[in-house]
Amino acid sequence: MKERILIANRGEIAIRIMQACEALGLDHVVVYTPEDRYSMHVRMAAKAFQIASYKDPNDIFEVADHAKCTAIHPGYGFFSENFRFARRAAMRSRPVRFIGPRWEVIRDLGSKINTKKVAKDLGIPVIPGTDRPIYNEIEAEGIAEWLFLLQKEQGVTHPSILVKASAGGGGMGIEEVNHLNTFRRVYRRIQSYSKRQFGDEGVLIEQCLRDYHHLEVQLVCSQHSEISHFGTRNCTIQSTGRQKRVEVAPGFDPDYCTYPFNAQKVLERIVAYSVKMAKHVQYDNVGTWEWVVTRDGNPYLLEVNTRIQVENGISARIARIKGTDGYPNIVKEQIRVAFGDRLGYSQEDISFSGTSIELRIVAEDARRGFKPWCGAITRFAPYQADWVNVHTHIPPDLSYFIPTEYDPNLALAIIWGQNTAEAVERAHIFIKNTQIEGKDSHDQTIITNLPYLQEKLNDVLKF
Amino acid sequence: MDIDLNALLETYRKNPFEDHVLQSVHTGIITFKVQEDQEVHGPEGKWHQKPGTLLYQLERENNIKKIYSPCSGTIIDLRRDLNGSFTEAGVDLMSIRHRLDKDEVIDRILRDVLILFTAPQRARYLLSPEFAVKIEKQGQPSIQPGDEPIIMSLMKRDTNLVYSSTPGVIYKVYFQQGALVEEGAPLLGICQEENLSYIQQVVNKIKTEWE
Repeated sequence: MKERILIANRGEIAIRIMQACEALGLDHVVVYTPEDRYSMHVRMAAKAFQIASYKDPNDIFEVADHAKCTAIHPGYGFFSENFRFARRAAMRSRPVRFIGPRWEVIRDLGSKINTKKVAKDLGIPVIPGTDRPIYNEIEAEGIAEWLFLLQKEQGVTHPSILVKASAGGGGMGIEEVNHLNTFRRVYRRIQSYSKRQFGDEGVLIEQCLRDYHHLEVQLVCSQHSEISHFGTRNCTIQSTGRQKRVEVAPGFDPDYCTYPFNAQKVLERIVAYSVKMAKHVQYDNVGTWEWVVTRDGNPYLLEVNTRIQVENGISARIARIKGTDGYPNIVKEQIRVAFGDRLGYSQEDISFSGTSIELRIVAEDARRGFKPWCGAITRFAPYQADWVNVHTHIPPDLSYFIPTEYDPNLALAIIWGQNTAEAVERAHIFIKNTQIEGKDSHDQTIITNLPYLQEKLNDVLKF
Repeated sequence: MDIDLNALLETYRKNPFEDHVLQSVHTGIITFKVQEDQEVHGPEGKWHQKPGTLLYQLERENNIKKIYSPCSGTIIDLRRDLNGSFTEAGVDLMSIRHRLDKDEVIDRILRDVLILFTAPQRARYLLSPEFAVKIEKQGQPSIQPGDEPIIMSLMKRDTNLVYSSTPGVIYKVYFQQGALVEEGAPLLGICQEENLSYIQQVVNKIKTEWE
């Protein structure tokens, strides 16, 4: 029987999964909500089914059965890191393959708390703070007090802590506290937000590190104990809500700028730690190990994302696999390994060339706290060149109203250059020549983050 | 703040009906439990604990989900052709022609009398924890310009909305916590304290005159 994949996601990632399926000769169907009916991911699909919500597992499984799907690709967000969903897919009376790691792995690494525990056991450095969700306000305040004292002992001049929704992700549900006397108010706000958004009011509290870079290691592993890495990424440029806006691969480039530490050694260290942990948990799909690297060159493991990452494309763009043409497609690799394929290459077969930059084009006002812009896109004309790939779900031929239920992401631009300087220069060219037009309900012109992205390009990879 | 109450009442008397279009709430195999032109009733009891008439069942993964009537009225435009088939979410299934009752007419007319705090965007809305407690404890708490009675959850970001109109009391909350509200739809109905007696007169008159 031919495999058929249900794409349980929306927007550009649904399209990238669709394209990967087609490249692999697999059938696919998509689901969508009423707000997304004009999205390109619906228009490009051979078969699309309307569901009540991307977060409704019953609707998704019902469509999977009706459309005779054999696998579900969760994309990123929604169910991609929900081990209960993955377990249900595997254990229901009509099993469907979950395209991601085994549910046990998602359970163990999908939570920041478990990840911290496993990392500590393996001697991998983690940020000081809680390693379990806190539900009690008094206990939470005690931990906050301890973390402020710890920073005082470290001589930190402006100590602060982060209060995070333990079930959160993607930069949502995180607030910084600078004084102990404001802790309770923030704790209550995050607790309430967490309960509403994620159904769990557990909160994590940790030391807020300053002056650091946010790095990632991209792993691709198979069900045959094979582990390969596709290098590192630097995701330091983020909105105030800690949402990534510009990503670069590789994670550091000593030929482009200087670092107060041995950058190559740090990259090698975080790759080695990530591979060590992947081996330990018998990781069997694509995954991203997220790190912070402080000015003194010390890395701390943040979390593991047991799913395809938005920015996977830049890792692929700088990689080459010996014996194959062009650059790899990590979404394709993910699907292949989920169906039990061997990788078919070893780490020695993977080489890297140049620098790739991803620009996340978002309808938001970067000057006003990244406030989302709501309205209709009337024209989206990204600059075209052979060194840029643009992923978008915005229809080229009709006015598209940005759904208010989701993030106002418009497109991803993946730019490549032979070196970082060229990649940055090309990114500037792309931004200058990209045209986006639109109006909101009060006839005001669209606001996008293109000026912000342009400004931030000067900072990429620099400490 | 005078309104032509008699004219408004006359409008509602001439057409006391509202058609509620019901869409499939989920994806699944549908089985209708009502017929065209059938009279149905809505939920009853102090806390609406008694469900309304069973309208249809959705079967998903061998689980039956029963959907009950949200209001009283007559079934019209029933999509009988969908019976027994796989149906996607959001498909129009039927309408209920509902006759407005006294409280609903009061509610509609008060929208012309109260100061309405409306939704600035199509988004999900919540009462701020402070005002949720006040409303629960006081019923109709006072509100001042500068207060932040509502949280707007838009594109997964929470924003506190500032009230900037005249001081008064929150007479009516028009939305369910966390519900999606269209741009321009009322969130709160606010009444200046000196107008409370006038509002009560309006309510009493409708109660007396609406059958």
